[in-house]
Amino acid sequence: MSNPAEIIITVRDLKVGYGENVILQNVNFQVRHGEVFVILGGSGSGKSTLLKNLIGLYAPLEGEVWIEGGDLVAARGDERQDLLRKFGVTYQSGALFGSMSVLENVRLPLDELTALPGPLKELAALAKLKLVGLGAAAQKLPSELSGGMQKRAAIARAMALDPRILFLDEPSAGLDPVTAADLDLLITELAHHFGITFIIVTHDLASIYAIADRVIMLDGRSRTIVAEGRPAELRERATDPWVRRFFNREPDAVASGLHL
Amino acid sequence: MTAAAENDLETDVQVGTDGHARVVLRGRLDARTAATCWNRLEQALRVSKLEQLEVDASGLIFCDGAGLALLRYLSMGLMTLGATVSMRGLEPGLEQIFRGFTPEDYEAFRPPVRVKCHPLPEEVGNAVRQAASDLREQVEFLGSIMGKMLPTLLDRKQMRWPEVRRVFELAGANAVPIVSLVSVLVGLIIAFESAQPLAQFGAQIFVVNMIGLVMVRELGPLLAAILLAGRSGSAFAAEIGTMKVNEELDALQTLGLDPIRFLVIQRITAAILLTPLLTFYATFLGVLGGVLVALGLGFPLPLIFHQLSSSLRLSDIGLGVAKGVVFGAIVSAVGCMRGLQTQEGPSAVGVSTTRAVVTSIVLIIIADAVFSVLFYFLTR
Repeated sequence: MSNPAEIIITVRDLKVGYGENVILQNVNFQVRHGEVFVILGGSGSGKSTLLKNLIGLYAPLEGEVWIEGGDLVAARGDERQDLLRKFGVTYQSGALFGSMSVLENVRLPLDELTALPGPLKELAALAKLKLVGLGAAAQKLPSELSGGMQKRAAIARAMALDPRILFLDEPSAGLDPVTAADLDLLITELAHHFGITFIIVTHDLASIYAIADRVIMLDGRSRTIVAEGRPAELRERATDPWVRRFFNREPDAVASGLHL
Repeated sequence: MTAAAENDLETDVQVGTDGHARVVLRGRLDARTAATCWNRLEQALRVSKLEQLEVDASGLIFCDGAGLALLRYLSMGLMTLGATVSMRGLEPGLEQIFRGFTPEDYEAFRPPVRVKCHPLPEEVGNAVRQAASDLREQVEFLGSIMGKMLPTLLDRKQMRWPEVRRVFELAGANAVPIVSLVSVLVGLIIAFESAQPLAQFGAQIFVVNMIGLVMVRELGPLLAAILLAGRSGSAFAAEIGTMKVNEELDALQTLGLDPIRFLVIQRITAAILLTPLLTFYATFLGVLGGVLVALGLGFPLPLIFHQLSSSLRLSDIGLGVAKGVVFGAIVSAVGCMRGLQTQEGPSAVGVSTTRAVVTSIVLIIIADAVFSVLFYFLTR
């Protein structure tokens, strides 16, 4: 239905931070349609801050974020609302609404933002739950689900309005390796079969090798992107010592304070 | 394809006389067009008893989750009960997704349509049992505070006086503006409202006696305590409740520190120290409000003072302050107890704060009633 090489997100000269405190600057990248794009970085490198600027929760200090032909930074009013509906977001903790069942959580965007009749909303929400493998858990409350299931339910909710882009914040945080691998499989399947573009913030190396088409790496010290490319490439050929250490999971001796 | 079809859906319905109907969809079937299409089909298909429905989807150029839901609803025959439905022309990729969710799935995952309702005796029984166990917990909590209060107070290291000072400032000093406003206004309002009926008897000057007595003995302590419950009792419950949700209380316990000694005693001490002051202040400003009304009515200041001093005994003031101490202890203890009782879940802290305020106010009123009876017998 759409051209696979189509560029769906363009980030230009983005500078993010809080007031005087600049966390990242000169951030430039593009994401193509159907790609699994990973934003990588150590703790405190500004990954989550960058994500919150990309999805419009925070206003960047400078720069542009173009999503499907509209600049989210400059957009106001209805135009901004339309842009916000072009993507779905899942948060680190899942952020499901605790007082509603899983099905009600997934139905919520359909209830609030479409004029669909009740049976169709229910059908559409159940189909999304089946897709993430949670059909049988539809009537449960989020607190009755395991961590992995909550993440899946959050993905189903983010997909309720069929966005072409999904932003995931640390999807594998707090999951055991098997559950995390299941989630990786779901992400690759959604990307390949449904043409959904993923922008994923993570520092989980195993899942990066499994799912990422392309990676950008942020560094808290130089406050910008220090590497970009395929994960395997970066592991083999990165020139930056910090990137190499990260991909090979080598400790930073200074950090331990033991000086053995 | 017609001109409007780029962003739109064309729904073509033919209903034959032989119970045979045909639906042709062309264009874009998304959340917006599916809603209008649904209305259209409802009107056309529900009216007649159909035996066969044929859906032609070959003209679709786009179909999202909502569109698929409509196609599934049609193909399961839910709109045309009793008719056999056939669907054709779905694009192969879409067809695969369409088959990913079957009518069996729909049956299995649907919410059950039944409302759980307990019989009345069961509801009543549960409520009584809960009330009884709550009372038991309150008594247990009171006991453990009583047991730990004195040893903690005597042990300088455990007492953490800086924490007492912090709570004193937050719950006491920072409450002064709101207590001022509310007390002055309540004094003013009561004096103003009662001045008119008293004028009928030519007894307007007794407004001052009344406001003095009411404020010192009843409303001063009550206002201070209720404001403390709303501002600080709820804050204690929320603070301790959040600590419980974040496993901070577990961390305290595994460090060998008792939450009651570490968190609760300090808050209760601070509240007991600050409420007499707050009560005295609230009383003073409430009386001031009444005095302002009396001045407005034209009475001279010396007369007002004379009335005040003749109507109040020292024991009245003592009673007010004693009430303040007890109310302060109730509010802080209940706030801490509700915080410690916090359950799991997203609304747990909210529930705890609400319960803290409600229980505090109920107990304050009960204690106030007890005080009134006691005072009556003591001063008889």
